[in-house]
Amino acid sequence: MTDDRQSRVSRRRYLQLAGGAAATAALAGCSNDSGELNTETPAEGANDSAGGGGGGNDTDSSDDQNNQESGEFAVTITQGQMDSGLDPHDHRETTTDIIVMQMYEGALDRDREGQVIEGLAENYEQAEPNRVRLTIREGVTFHNGDELTPQDVAFSINRIVNPDVGNLASPQSDQLAGITEAQVVDGERAVDVISDGVNPMAIGLLASYGDVMQQSWVESNDNSYINSNANGTGPFQLSNYVQDERVEYTKYEEYWREPAAVDALTITSASESSTRVNQLVSGETDIIVNVPPQEVSRINSNESTRVEAVPSTRIIYNGMRYDVEPFSNLQFRRAMNYAVDINTIVSEVLSDFADATGQPTLEGFTGYNPNIDPYPYDVEQAEQLVEESGFAGATIELHTPVGRYLKDLEIAQAVVGYINELSNVEASVNQRDFGALAGELTTGNIEDMPHWYLIGWGNETFDASQTLIPLLTTDGALSSWSNDQFDQLVSQAGQTANADERESLFQEANQLAHDQAPWIFLNRQYSVYGASSRIEWQARRDESIKAYEIMQP
Amino acid sequence: MSFARFIIKRSLQGIFVVWGVVTVVFLLRFSTPGDPITFIAPLDASPELRQRIAEELGLNQPLYVQYFDYLTGLLTGDMGYSYISGTEAATRIFARVPATVELAVAATVVAIVISIPLGVISATRRHEPADYAATTFSLAGISTPNFWLGIMLVLVFAVQLNFLPTSRRPVGIVQAVEVLVLSGNYAGIVLWLQHITLPAITLGTYFTALVTRLTRSGMLDELGKSYVDAARAKGLPETLVRYKHALRNTLIPVITVLGLQLGTLIGGAVITEAVFAWPGLGTLVINSINTRDWPLIQGCLIVIGSSFVFVNIAVDALYAYVNPQVVYD
Repeated sequence: MTDDRQSRVSRRRYLQLAGGAAATAALAGCSNDSGELNTETPAEGANDSAGGGGGGNDTDSSDDQNNQESGEFAVTITQGQMDSGLDPHDHRETTTDIIVMQMYEGALDRDREGQVIEGLAENYEQAEPNRVRLTIREGVTFHNGDELTPQDVAFSINRIVNPDVGNLASPQSDQLAGITEAQVVDGERAVDVISDGVNPMAIGLLASYGDVMQQSWVESNDNSYINSNANGTGPFQLSNYVQDERVEYTKYEEYWREPAAVDALTITSASESSTRVNQLVSGETDIIVNVPPQEVSRINSNESTRVEAVPSTRIIYNGMRYDVEPFSNLQFRRAMNYAVDINTIVSEVLSDFADATGQPTLEGFTGYNPNIDPYPYDVEQAEQLVEESGFAGATIELHTPVGRYLKDLEIAQAVVGYINELSNVEASVNQRDFGALAGELTTGNIEDMPHWYLIGWGNETFDASQTLIPLLTTDGALSSWSNDQFDQLVSQAGQTANADERESLFQEANQLAHDQAPWIFLNRQYSVYGASSRIEWQARRDESIKAYEIMQP
Repeated sequence: MSFARFIIKRSLQGIFVVWGVVTVVFLLRFSTPGDPITFIAPLDASPELRQRIAEELGLNQPLYVQYFDYLTGLLTGDMGYSYISGTEAATRIFARVPATVELAVAATVVAIVISIPLGVISATRRHEPADYAATTFSLAGISTPNFWLGIMLVLVFAVQLNFLPTSRRPVGIVQAVEVLVLSGNYAGIVLWLQHITLPAITLGTYFTALVTRLTRSGMLDELGKSYVDAARAKGLPETLVRYKHALRNTLIPVITVLGLQLGTLIGGAVITEAVFAWPGLGTLVINSINTRDWPLIQGCLIVIGSSFVFVNIAVDALYAYVNPQVVYD
């Protein structure tokens, strides 16, 4: 009887404990957290209302509800990673770029399709083969209220290309390839950008790189401060920066164009793709990056979310070393291209979030050859070419990174699967750590490279040169091929100031690359985003996300 | 040996353990594939640029020079600079510690609140439905991978029911309490609870199951001892017999496991942090490994290793409180 009584007591106590825990959870789950806006200490930022986004959730979305009640349009973007600092000249990664580009902008810019447009320069011209003149816009102010001057533009370009300027050896120096300095033009509101020779790429490079900073602000602050604060001319100004966690912005009302439609912006990160998707479908964020194909249906079946996909500037290919057998043989390399059914890989492995390629330059880029189609899938032709090459019975191994590119391992496995369907070649996959593989590819010595490898290459300049030179010329940093005729064509294209002639030379080079097959031409990767229906936004080809382009439906 | 001498002795031993951790972690860097410069420089960077970066980072120095520099730096609290961002590694790492400690402690609290009462009930109602339910629960808890549990909890409670947020840590407990004390506004605490509930349950479930089983078996063992019969014979109420005498003795091994597991939770929250985008040491370690940012990797592992050592010393010290018969030698 005592036991029973004590058991009842124990149960009651346990229930009390459990009830307490449940009440805590219920409090957490159900309470109206309308006070969330006040949870930030003033030191951490006055505008926590930038947090949260999306509707339909009674937890994080409370910010949004509050913002909607106050008429504020708040948007959250979730990336895979956060930034490596806020200095616009001190990074190379897209993730940092996206965070910085909301606050900083260049003299020139690109539209959503990649075409060059005016930015802080209201006019630009190729004044001479080695000189671009930028006429700087009036009435532009930095976020601290100071007016933009041509000196700021020249200083910013010089800070990138000259390690003695602005206390920084910028890792972006090679992005402004060929540009040696920028000078303010006496008596004019203009800047001359000088190259070390003919540089038909200069305008394109300035449209992709070269964010403008205020000279006096940079010179009066150390690098640590510049990396955790911001003072640009862009449509958003920094309101709160928590490194590795989130960046919060507010609309810059004095922006030289119309102020942004978005009042408050937050950029945060989640490394797991499923976490990002959960955030999106729960209404906690408005845009997520890198949606894997298997999550697409979950996003599309949710009535308040959608998938936004756009061809990116990244090409995926299989490089083959020209100096080792069997890849030294042209017939064998062509056979490998005929053996792979790239269209099926695009549809089945990549769920159509890719385009098949047949040349190194992507469609829409300067130098793209519209007359080249991808290699057709032809097993008989492939087997015959292998026989003709004299390498029947060859055993080859494909080195591939895992998780670096969209479905990279699956693509590699499919390629190897197709080649194994040939009766006279045996292939296998070697899964590699990206760092180790990239290390072998970038030593500058072709003998360090794997004989056959999968790699991807992004080219934000929309110009063939930035793909053909590093990947396929004899001295290219990542080249595993050498062809004198190809080198000559690319070299000629680099020395001509005539745009039509240049384009024609690159097209010829692309045709030669297709015919000589230094790669198995695979696919153009798509950028796949998830977006909330509470925003109007279209993905860009250059992998950037400009919150200025986001509208309310 | 006095308590103070015991603590000093253990602390000195701990320093050697941490030194061992530092050395092993440092050497690991040279036995793993992937050159950090590959992640810092663009793929098409020239050999000159790579060389310049190597010089700036001191990677061109002999191994023993790098090791000595690192050790002397550590003694002054300098863990070096992130290869990727150039920021101070120590600053980055210690900024993440509160989030991880919060999560580990919350998971421990979840485990204690659920497991000890459950273990006691299970032991006192042996072979009854409550015992079977508790045993089944603990078996399921031990067998469930926490990445799967985390995803399921998110899908059910956040995505389907919209009851709790899916992820993130918009506010820390210290900040929330600060706001509460200064302004009386409890919204920060509520927000913190909303965000930590699912990660804490996810991380604490395995622990809950483990402690439930440990408490059950310990209680069964103690309840069968003669001092319990003596206590009952003296006419002590059963509640006192169970909770003051038997449970207190049961707690000695439980505290050992709690201490060890707290260290494990600090180091092992990697997956949970990734699933919930929780900005703790775990996500920093993963991101740093992905980019071969060795100063951050080393620093994180040293902090995690040191926390293990510290927690173990603290657990040993706690023995004195729980069981005065413990002799330090």
